[in-house]
Amino acid sequence: MSMNHPLDHHAPLDRTLVSAVVRSAMEVMGTMAQTQLEHKEIEGWEYYRPTGDISAVIGIFDNTGEGGMLSLTFPMTLARLLVSRLLTVNPASLSSEDVCDGVRELVNMVSGSTKAFLSEGSDNMYKLSLPAVILGGGHEIFNRPENNPYLLIQFKTIEEASQKFNLQVCFKQKM
Amino acid sequence: VKVLSIDDSSIMRKIISKAVLELGFEFLEAENGHKGIEILSAESQDVGLILLDWNIPGQDGLTTLQEIKKDSRFSHIPVMMVTTEAEKNNILKAVQSGASHYVTKPFTQEDLMNGIKQCLGKGSQYDPGLTNV
Repeated sequence: MSMNHPLDHHAPLDRTLVSAVVRSAMEVMGTMAQTQLEHKEIEGWEYYRPTGDISAVIGIFDNTGEGGMLSLTFPMTLARLLVSRLLTVNPASLSSEDVCDGVRELVNMVSGSTKAFLSEGSDNMYKLSLPAVILGGGHEIFNRPENNPYLLIQFKTIEEASQKFNLQVCFKQKM
Repeated sequence: VKVLSIDDSSIMRKIISKAVLELGFEFLEAENGHKGIEILSAESQDVGLILLDWNIPGQDGLTTLQEIKKDSRFSHIPVMMVTTEAEKNNILKAVQSGASHYVTKPFTQEDLMNGIKQCLGKGSQYDPGLTNV
């Protein structure tokens, strides 16, 4: 008897899109937040719950309205650290609004760079929604529409007190 | 000389303000195009450069750019786009609408400061390098 998990009806995400997403995240964190990252794709993500304290979510759509979403989910300590590096200030000096706005800007930049890649050599002009921020200890962003390609990547900062965050993409791409 | 940043992200405006103040200019800010136009209406004599985001709530950055360039009170003020919109077509659209310079996010502080200096006549002319687009 088949024991399919209800979430396993997903095609793999196009590999060039995966590379673009990873490259965008590394470039944004490296250039704007002076933070170098390692990454790994989570296999068996059907059973992995990418929870965190703060997330930013953004929609990417083509001119027919087809597309998907990209989200970043952080523990609060890492979000605060990254935003403090954007501003070159002490993390303790940041307000909650600063952290929310900084995380919103991070997802905006990562998705903007990904969108530019998607538009290269394509007739489709992609657009971004305005990003939204979700706050709350241990929350999970769950956006995996059935049959849509999905990807979960875990990033880890390369420094002594290494910390992790998750990036999720669920995206229906026209080939 | 005052530099006006129109960007809905307060973090981005803070990043930009650091560069502007470090270069010795005064800093003005607005979180959307309408507020930016309001500030320009009051301060157009003193504003030497506008830094404009594309994806802002309400009227988008491109439309705001076109509005600025149509208004004889502000049309002489150079506009530098500072945006995640990195597609060549969009860069071309902005330059054709009157943008003097284009910086895509993510950027280094050096990229930003060089762009500001170029727009304020302290550097070479911007070439988007898009002649084949």
